[in-house]
Amino acid sequence: MSEIAHSAADDEPLVRAAQRGDMTAFEELVARHRDKIFARAYSMMRNEEDAIDLSQEAWVKAWQRLKQFQRESSFSTWMTRIVINLCLDQLRRQKRQRAESIEAMDEESGGVERQMPVVTVNPTERLERAELRARIDRALNQLSEAHRTVLVLHEFEQMEYKLIAKTMGCSIGTVMSRLFYARRKMAVLLAELKKQD
Amino acid sequence: MAINEELSLKLQAYADGELSEREAREVADLLAKDTDARALVEELKNTCSALAGFEAEIKLPESREFYWSKIEREIRRLETSRTSRPEPSVFAAWRRFLVPAGALAVLVLAGFLIFPLLHGPHMAESAESEFTLPDSEAFTYHDYANGTTLVWLSYPAENEFADKDSEDTLD
Repeated sequence: MSEIAHSAADDEPLVRAAQRGDMTAFEELVARHRDKIFARAYSMMRNEEDAIDLSQEAWVKAWQRLKQFQRESSFSTWMTRIVINLCLDQLRRQKRQRAESIEAMDEESGGVERQMPVVTVNPTERLERAELRARIDRALNQLSEAHRTVLVLHEFEQMEYKLIAKTMGCSIGTVMSRLFYARRKMAVLLAELKKQD
Repeated sequence: MAINEELSLKLQAYADGELSEREAREVADLLAKDTDARALVEELKNTCSALAGFEAEIKLPESREFYWSKIEREIRRLETSRTSRPEPSVFAAWRRFLVPAGALAVLVLAGFLIFPLLHGPHMAESAESEFTLPDSEAFTYHDYANGTTLVWLSYPAENEFADKDSEDTLD
């Protein structure tokens, strides 16, 4: 069943009711935005179980902090930022467990992508939507966490460089560099997948 | 024209609309005459358009009811644990302050009482002392540095009373 797109104005009465403690209103907000919140967590974590857990944790946090929601952005954007931050925390924890630093993630692989020839033919041209989706899915799995995160924040969350840098706790230069290599690698991976097909 | 890293990032910033008006005009001029730069920008744009709408097709693999039930359970659990925690009373707050303060006061007092005993004026002169009881052969030696005390008692006693007693008994 497809999710109906709800505008921020549609959410407003529900948000107000939820802020007064109405859990039924909050449940309706969850129902409206659960797919988007889950999808964002899944894009970042690439693991269904983690994405479900983190998205649910985000909803619990949202309920606890609902009174702090000042309507500077839409409810949907506010929710998405909560789940993004939870995913980033989780990725950092995982990195620490692997004795690596998220700040130093995979910069070393950037040089390789820079030297790769430009993909002149659009590898996704004339593909069925399902096939394209499967290819992107596989390509995203092959990106490093740092590259994938910056790509998700820019392409899916439409964040500007400055905001990505603030969210990830790195410089704008690092964001630009990671984004560039992520896109190049993505282009190459998609082209390779096309050849394999 | 060879595309170095700096130019690559500038081309990307151009494609993302992150350049100032002046810089964007410079890059547009460059793109008009540089096929490599044009190809790179094209590739970056292709990747962006391939990704567009990708997330919209990802669906939560759980039913609304099941997904919500877990969220609701966790919210209620957290709220119950918060409300079941008793409000700290004034007495409890005072006790939290008084217990460590009282313990500190006892320690300071003990310090005042013990310090002169351990480091009294006689200790400053010597770290050792000897003491002999008059009219007896008992003799004590105390080493303060090592905390050692030795007591000598002569046996059989060498004083006159003891000798007498001893002789009486043997008779």
